[in-house]
Amino acid sequence: MLAGLRVLDLSDESGFLAGKLLGDLGADVVKVEPPGGDLVGRRAPYLRGEPGPEGSLAWLALNTSKRGITLDASVAAGRDLFGRLVAGADVVLETPRPGERDALGLGWDAWAADHPRLVWCSITPFGRTGPRARWRGGDLVVVAMGGNMKVTGDPDRPPVRCSMPTAYYHAAPEAALGILMALHQREDTGRGQLVDVSLQETQLQSLLSAPGQFALHRRPMQRSGARLGRTREIWAARDGWISFGLRGGPARVANLAATVAWMGEQGLAPEWLRAYDWKGFSHLTVSDDEIERLEQAFGAFFAKHTMRELYEQALARRVLLAPCNDARELLEHPQLRSRELFVTLDYPELGAAIEHPDFFARTADHAIALRRRAPRIGEHNGEVYGQLGMAPCDLEKLAAQGAI
Amino acid sequence: MGLRVGGPAEVFDGLNVLELGSGAAGPVATRYLVEQGARVVRIESARRPDFLRVLFLTKDSKFGLDGSPMYVLLNPDKESVSINMATPDGVELVKRLVGWADVVAENFSPGVMAKWGLDWEGIRTLRPDAVFVSGCLFGQTGPQRKYPGFGGQGSAIAGFNHLTGWPDREAHGPYGTITDSLSPRYVAVAVVAALLERRRTGRGRHIDLSQIESGVYSLSEMIVRQSANGESEVRRGNRSERAAPHGVYPCRGEDRWIAIAVEDDDAWRALVAALGEPEWARAPGLACVAGRLAREPELDAQITAFTRPQDALALAERLQAAGVPAGPVQDFADLLDDPQLAHREHFVPLHHVHLGELLFERSGLRLSASPGGFERPGPNLGEHNRQVLGGLLRLSEAEIQDLVAREVVA
Repeated sequence: MLAGLRVLDLSDESGFLAGKLLGDLGADVVKVEPPGGDLVGRRAPYLRGEPGPEGSLAWLALNTSKRGITLDASVAAGRDLFGRLVAGADVVLETPRPGERDALGLGWDAWAADHPRLVWCSITPFGRTGPRARWRGGDLVVVAMGGNMKVTGDPDRPPVRCSMPTAYYHAAPEAALGILMALHQREDTGRGQLVDVSLQETQLQSLLSAPGQFALHRRPMQRSGARLGRTREIWAARDGWISFGLRGGPARVANLAATVAWMGEQGLAPEWLRAYDWKGFSHLTVSDDEIERLEQAFGAFFAKHTMRELYEQALARRVLLAPCNDARELLEHPQLRSRELFVTLDYPELGAAIEHPDFFARTADHAIALRRRAPRIGEHNGEVYGQLGMAPCDLEKLAAQGAI
Repeated sequence: MGLRVGGPAEVFDGLNVLELGSGAAGPVATRYLVEQGARVVRIESARRPDFLRVLFLTKDSKFGLDGSPMYVLLNPDKESVSINMATPDGVELVKRLVGWADVVAENFSPGVMAKWGLDWEGIRTLRPDAVFVSGCLFGQTGPQRKYPGFGGQGSAIAGFNHLTGWPDREAHGPYGTITDSLSPRYVAVAVVAALLERRRTGRGRHIDLSQIESGVYSLSEMIVRQSANGESEVRRGNRSERAAPHGVYPCRGEDRWIAIAVEDDDAWRALVAALGEPEWARAPGLACVAGRLAREPELDAQITAFTRPQDALALAERLQAAGVPAGPVQDFADLLDDPQLAHREHFVPLHHVHLGELLFERSGLRLSASPGGFERPGPNLGEHNRQVLGGLLRLSEAEIQDLVAREVVA
């Protein structure tokens, strides 16, 4: 869908996914690493636990659909090359330490005047300007400051984050979206612009308007662990955890009744539960004692079954119940398999074949898809710099100067 | 609606979007478009209202379907038309609106649109260059496509619950059912990519997005790790495999905390300096991350003793000045007072006819040449019936009254 679009991807781990997204949409994304490789981004864990930047699983996972070059723009010859790469790009994506690239004269301000069609996207912890523009922060800090953490976790423990960096997952499609919006406007105006993405601010959308609701009623919200408000949402199955909302409302009456019928078939629904008036049930008004009585009955039933047994029956009976899957369960998931979500890539030099998610949305012509494996260090130096008119002997000189 | 007279043009001025569906995931996706000037018309009905309109509805609710803060906050600047899709005339009205729309967005269960003749075949007949996006939980195909879940189920199935919490306790997802906030961004990305493509080719297309799949795609690293090494990523509280100390520590006051992430050895040196070079922190074994990871419980105890009497924000300011990534764990009141969010004008105050002043929220992206924003709160049900049916479809007042009388518009 983005064929012909040229993207220069200068990002660190907080922006890898944003560049990948554009590549999966068909753009020509060139990932830029320092000479010798991005040893921070090519981090552990490594393939088979063997340390080495070419086997970094985070790199292999998040830099697919990109070509890769090395470049040190802080040396003179590298700066010149960087300028030529920018001149040939529609989009530059960066995740600088606050102020860092601007201080080197390599930021948006340095290029905007000479390249009026350029779209430049900065992903930073708090945004490019403002009182905290120079604050540092990775996933943990921005999730903390974005409001989500305070309401995630158990009331008797500290607030907690997801163990994978969701801040980057929220920001990546938002950055890609901003870039595409800017390109859309460029079609009308002929001019590019700056896209300023704040990791902290993208976090707030995960609250789904809760801050605005708080401003209205000023009732502080507490962490409620495995509960959602007053009622339990996460329950123990025999071999793991499931999600099941013990909540009322018209959308859930049939669901609750079907669950009780299922329990009844197995002799696990007490008389009072089989006669329960779900139409009159509201998690907002029901008493604490009543919640406890209901939770004991449902909990005893769930604990007798495996996650898979519960999910298969939930599918058959149209009950709102879901297993808390791990990665292994996802790779085996029949629905995801039937949609061919996963694609296997070969890594002959590593002696490995690895499955990756292939797309974030399906189209009939497979227009959104993983295009190529993540690049090895400097894999496309010859190709990309060759397109700038450089011969192999030029590249040798640049390497000797420490530029590539 | 992009009617800022004399203001700069917005990205989607002149773009028409027709939206069918409900909840958070669908409407949040089109909120990105409306924030940049698109005109978004929502098809709703009092007969089967959006569940966000009834989420907190009780007998005592004064404003009925029009008093839900969550609905109002997630749907700014949109127009609401109430059409009863159980009537053939209602379906016909929507078909005429499809002809008007550049983008048709829906998040119904698979099969619902087809029942009305509004699957891709139907849509493209009415509007050949439409960009049509479907965004249900599991996608339009596959054996479990009709699984009837909400975001809570989506987050669990996609793997986020398993990854969130403490190793010795239940899995539970990040607050707010993350697939409801994550998937709308992917919907918007796919739509705008398709609009860009349409400018070049003149053709529309159908995008079949599964909220769960876009979550799993985000977790590509977890999938690759499982496939390559057979390692299932686990929940580890606030700890990191690669950095220490890395956690949330108590501060002065009730339920006040600071997050500190010593991401590299430089940050460790900066932290030690900020702590005042205490004896325990100067142990040479702690200079490198491996040594700190090996002694994490001890470091956490020392840092806790240090942070406990301090004000979270003041300490974060000090640590940041010293070069340590740190920040207070902010609650909603803190967000409303956050000077950085204020600088970005994140909260947009708008007056709602029933609820008074409400704070609407901007996305996390700003475009230098197109400020964007919101001008009106989410609509009352059917608030724009006349504007859309009369203004857009050119129905006469008598025709509209007839549709109301026959409960086609309802």
